[in-house]
Amino acid sequence: MASKCIGLLVLFQLLALNVVSQISAFPTPTASADDKTVYNRQLTEERPVQEQIAEADSVKAAVQSAESKRPTVSKDTESEQDLDDLTVLKSLADGQKSKEVTEVPLKKEEQYVPDESDSTKSRRLAEDYDSTKNGMDYDDPESFRQVDGTPLTAEDIVQKIANKIYEEDDRGVFDRIVSKLLKLGLITDSQADTLEYQVAEALQDLITKNAKNNEIEDIESNGQETRGEQDNQESDANADTWEPPRRRYNEDEEDVDEDDDEIEDEVDRDAEEDRGDTADNTWDKDTEEGNEVSPEDGLQDLQYFPNFYRLLKSLDSDQDTQERETLITIMKTLIDFVKMMVKYGTITPEEGVSYLENLDAMIAMQTKNKLGKSLGPPDFTGPNGKNLDEDDNTKAEAAKMQKEYENLKDSTKEEQPSTETNQPGKSETYLEAIRKNIEWLKKHSKEEGKDDYDLSKLKDFMDQQVDSYIEKGIIAKDEGDTIKRIYSSL
Amino acid sequence: MKQFLSVVLFGAAAVALVSAAGTEGGEISFEYHRYEELRKALVSVWLQCPTITRIYTIGESFEGRELLVLEMTDNPGTHEPGEPEFKYIANMHGNEAVGRELLIYLAQYLCNQYQQGNETIIDLIHSTRIHLMPSMNPDGFEKAASQPGEIKDWFVGRSNAQGVDLNRNFPDLDRIIYINEREGGANNHLLQNMKKAVDENTKLAPETKAVIHWIMDIPFVLSANLHGGDVVANYPYDETRTGSTHEYSASPDDVTFKSLAKSYSIYNPVMSDPQRPPCRKNDDDSSFKDGITNGGAWYSVPGGMQDFNYLSSNCFEITLELSCDKFPSEDTLKNYWEQNRNSLVNYIEQVHRGVKGFVRDLQGNGISNATISVEGIDHDLTTAKDGDYWRLLAPGNYKVAASAPGYLTVIKKVAIPYSPATRVDFELESLMERKEEEREELMDWWKMMSETLNF
Repeated sequence: MASKCIGLLVLFQLLALNVVSQISAFPTPTASADDKTVYNRQLTEERPVQEQIAEADSVKAAVQSAESKRPTVSKDTESEQDLDDLTVLKSLADGQKSKEVTEVPLKKEEQYVPDESDSTKSRRLAEDYDSTKNGMDYDDPESFRQVDGTPLTAEDIVQKIANKIYEEDDRGVFDRIVSKLLKLGLITDSQADTLEYQVAEALQDLITKNAKNNEIEDIESNGQETRGEQDNQESDANADTWEPPRRRYNEDEEDVDEDDDEIEDEVDRDAEEDRGDTADNTWDKDTEEGNEVSPEDGLQDLQYFPNFYRLLKSLDSDQDTQERETLITIMKTLIDFVKMMVKYGTITPEEGVSYLENLDAMIAMQTKNKLGKSLGPPDFTGPNGKNLDEDDNTKAEAAKMQKEYENLKDSTKEEQPSTETNQPGKSETYLEAIRKNIEWLKKHSKEEGKDDYDLSKLKDFMDQQVDSYIEKGIIAKDEGDTIKRIYSSL
Repeated sequence: MKQFLSVVLFGAAAVALVSAAGTEGGEISFEYHRYEELRKALVSVWLQCPTITRIYTIGESFEGRELLVLEMTDNPGTHEPGEPEFKYIANMHGNEAVGRELLIYLAQYLCNQYQQGNETIIDLIHSTRIHLMPSMNPDGFEKAASQPGEIKDWFVGRSNAQGVDLNRNFPDLDRIIYINEREGGANNHLLQNMKKAVDENTKLAPETKAVIHWIMDIPFVLSANLHGGDVVANYPYDETRTGSTHEYSASPDDVTFKSLAKSYSIYNPVMSDPQRPPCRKNDDDSSFKDGITNGGAWYSVPGGMQDFNYLSSNCFEITLELSCDKFPSEDTLKNYWEQNRNSLVNYIEQVHRGVKGFVRDLQGNGISNATISVEGIDHDLTTAKDGDYWRLLAPGNYKVAASAPGYLTVIKKVAIPYSPATRVDFELESLMERKEEEREELMDWWKMMSETLNF
């Protein structure tokens, strides 16, 4: 019985010793019962641990002298600071965790450098008995217990940290400690925040207390610095709010000033933009005027074929939409074909124009013959109702084709001027591309068995894309407008 | 007789009409595109196929022209986890014009074929993210194209507007890798340490900088760089190890690169023609075999874009020389398209080779920037943001390892065919998890002990 007691006592003492001397190692479960290195105590039983450590103090002196003071780190001041922080950290951990189940092993591992290689268990054995590798510093005045051996409370911890910050005049102390704790997962972010408040309060009290003690120089320098930190933040905010009014005021001044070139430039730019817009508008108006059918149909090309238009108009009823579509497609294809021939020099522009004119005349004749009536007033009335304009229109068409032809011929030799004469060319290609897309969508959704593709969604999507492309400089604004117009006409 | 003649004449006229159009089924028109026309052409492709294309710009040239890229994929605008990224860049030498045009035609071709139901093209676009940059040096091209007359000078327009040869302007990572080979050091991703240096480097042309950022932003897997002046597929390394003018300079992926380069050349009848005479009488094409050549064996190129891709990122790039004439006449463009169309498409397909997959942790989250290493090939790759990776390899048996800081390495053996890519996923256990396991065991032991000893 007695031997058992003694055995137990010895066990306790050794345990205590090992608790004190070895913080950073994990004992292996497979180790024999003789292995007294046990650390994963749950600190719900804090008092016993503290008592044991108090007991171990007596052993401490003997042990300590044999040990090297500092663990694995061989750096100088940094390690000392680290160590100070660490011990404060430890005491902090104790204080904070007095209510919770702790992850003690993790805390005790803080000195242990994580090894990236495979964490085999044999590695730990080597460190079990290595008493030089321990993170506890017996000499450190800021250990985790008070002089009389009673455990530290949370307030004490906070006070300790605040003192340290005050003494060292360095807020970084707090940050270092907290980041270490967070990294080890010992405290959560919210706990860190709470801690920060508490420490800040404690620090503030410290400062005011010291101020009252008439340490004037210290107060002013420290107080200003620490308060300065907080004040800086405030003054920054103030500065921010001040800036805008100042800026605005300056701008007002500049408006008044003579040397407001900037403003002038803006004014000029605005004027140019307006002019640009009006130019666009006039162009739009021109095409609109040239169409009997509304431009939303995207049929600018066909504006010069009055008879064809009349034919189309006569097919206004619902059953005829199919025919109408077909006719439009046929006509467009014909026009494209003629344009291509002109482009490749197979025929001259004039020939192309006359071909199309003849085509129109032929349509009139055919409809007359087939339908037994003429579609409306005789041909010589132009689409916009002006009598003698037909010649002019076809001349304009010829001129257009001529220009395109010349542009294309020289395209490898000159930079193409991106003027409005190009716009009909661009809009055709774009029109073509959009048409292909719509056709494919129709076919595709038919094949898939879905209902008709969602045209409005597509329109919105394209509008959005066009805007972002304009912004990025991928397409010009007028091109974007053309595309949007084509889509809205569908 | 007269009737017959008129019929013949009519027929001839009809044929003439059709051929004069010079189009392929009325879809692609084979002509040179200046900057505005290039832009217009890309916009048209986008308008025709808006659900599978997107245009973006990676920056501006020295003279302010946009460096336009057309991407083609089933979900344009985002990287889909597991979908490999591919790029073609052309015309970095402004006067090497064929590549520029070919990429425009390719864009039109892919869009048309997609809409016409071409299964191969549809699958390719759905499973890949293809980026096409027809011109990396639009300023140079304008200069070259503005020359009067048919014959274009060998040098005018080659460099950018600042006079910088863009294919000598990239940071010379070959130099560093050669030192690392001798003395130890990283075998990949050398750009990590140089990011700041790149941003602050005043010697880099804006076009070069834009491309470098592009390479860093998108996890490209495979790429090709289109040039002119000869006909061959050129692969790394471009810079010789000893600095001599000709010397075979193999990269760690020499076998893979040879396979990739051949996959282009075999479909180009001119490139792969063993009887083809050299472009110029005194040219030394002794290093060309089956239409491919090692860069250093042909001639040493320091600071090139091809090697930069391989050494700074995961991207494997080769250089394609596509025409003896750097800026041939417009009526030859159709032929160049015919020669290269199949090669261009087939080379994109090569991105679906080797081994690919995801590296995840035990909770199923992708681990980005994990290392993928292959035993026997001294060139590691890294995983992209979602933990996805693509390791191009020639057919064979390999051991592939996935590792990441804080995790335990996993090695897998895999047998790889020519194609398609073999899917291999990795689940890595973190060190913390292992420690947790061990800690729990320890807790159990302590509990047992304390119960036994009664304290």
